[in-house]
Amino acid sequence: MNRKSISTYVSRLILSLALLLPSSRADAQGFLKLEQDSIPLFRGFALSFDLVGMAQLQLSDYGQYEGAFRLNLHDQFFPIVEVGLGRANHEEDEVTGLSYKTTAPYFRLGADVNIMKKKHTGNRVYVGLRYAYTNYSVDIARRPTPDPIWQNNTSFSVDGMSCYQHWLEAVFGLDAKVMGPLHLGWSARYKIRMSHHDGWLGNTWYVPGFGTQDSSALGATFNVIIDI
Amino acid sequence: MSMQEKTWYISGDVKVREDKGTRRVLEPEKWWKALPLLLLGILFLHASCSSIECPIQNTVFSVYSIKDGSAAADTLKDTILIWTVRHDGKDTLLLYNRGINLSTFNLPISYTNEEDTLYFYCWKDNYAELDTVWIRKTNTPHFESVDCSASYFHEITSVRTTHHAIDSLIIHYPIVDYEQKEHFYIRFKAHS
Repeated sequence: MNRKSISTYVSRLILSLALLLPSSRADAQGFLKLEQDSIPLFRGFALSFDLVGMAQLQLSDYGQYEGAFRLNLHDQFFPIVEVGLGRANHEEDEVTGLSYKTTAPYFRLGADVNIMKKKHTGNRVYVGLRYAYTNYSVDIARRPTPDPIWQNNTSFSVDGMSCYQHWLEAVFGLDAKVMGPLHLGWSARYKIRMSHHDGWLGNTWYVPGFGTQDSSALGATFNVIIDI
Repeated sequence: MSMQEKTWYISGDVKVREDKGTRRVLEPEKWWKALPLLLLGILFLHASCSSIECPIQNTVFSVYSIKDGSAAADTLKDTILIWTVRHDGKDTLLLYNRGINLSTFNLPISYTNEEDTLYFYCWKDNYAELDTVWIRKTNTPHFESVDCSASYFHEITSVRTTHHAIDSLIIHYPIVDYEQKEHFYIRFKAHS
């Protein structure tokens, strides 16, 4: 209940800011208006790779490999496609005796807007929005555990339970130009589940691309970006 | 010098500004100026690490509501003990001890038995009666997270009882999960 109310509050806040931002900046410089200067509209592509998901995979029992292809329009608008492969392999938890396994691809579609006043410096501060989807199947099992009252051993095992999820992500991020075409950047994300099917066991734990459902709705990426 | 006379653009890594035909080269952008923000981002990553959030109400039990003849809420006048027999058929386990003046009481429900057998022992003064209750149900595992103990949810399909002290026992709400609904309405016979 508490989690839901916080989620609702943050969702409303983001929506309000999203509605407020264009109007409040419109007077100053035209938030969504293409700047008129000598820089051409098409400024190239960028490929990026997320280090956070990869580090998660190395350091924990879930994570993802994720890359992105981004179009640069006038250093101002950045339509983007993010694709990844999410994986979780949690083997028999010491306390709960639960195992969880899934591997599945996911994608996100969206766009970023560079909100820096000087847009052509190579460094960028941006806000953006993503729509994301994954279709995945999970294996969940629990080792035999005695019923606390009746004392008979109970266990269950479910293989290949089919699930899916649609979600949105509000993005705030920063790219810093390091040298030549190389940028480093991070993005912070607030995720909102739109619709989902978690199978018949109640819930799922790790959703590829979304993360674990028992953690906060916040997420982050740290990207190595190469301008093409 | 009016603003219209100035233009600036990017040439490689440097900013170039032209003022009335004079070309001035400004210093390259320093990527390390953004380092504090990058570090802030790393801190944010750390702060957004997962925390375990299991449901606060994570026990599954059945709720019995005591009713009178008109199905209104009532209070148990007698003393009640409830027990069951463990799976091995040898040990008995007391589930409810010396309940009196109750309007509702909760009883555990087995994880995976198709049918639970409960024994209700009701007495008043030196007079005692024993009833047996059989509860048939489905058993569905319920998963929240690998960090939270799994539970079993149930749907009560039927209930039957002997009628020494219990007058009637009916299913009011058949789904037994984390929600604490009143699953059974139970009515005891009045002693003269």
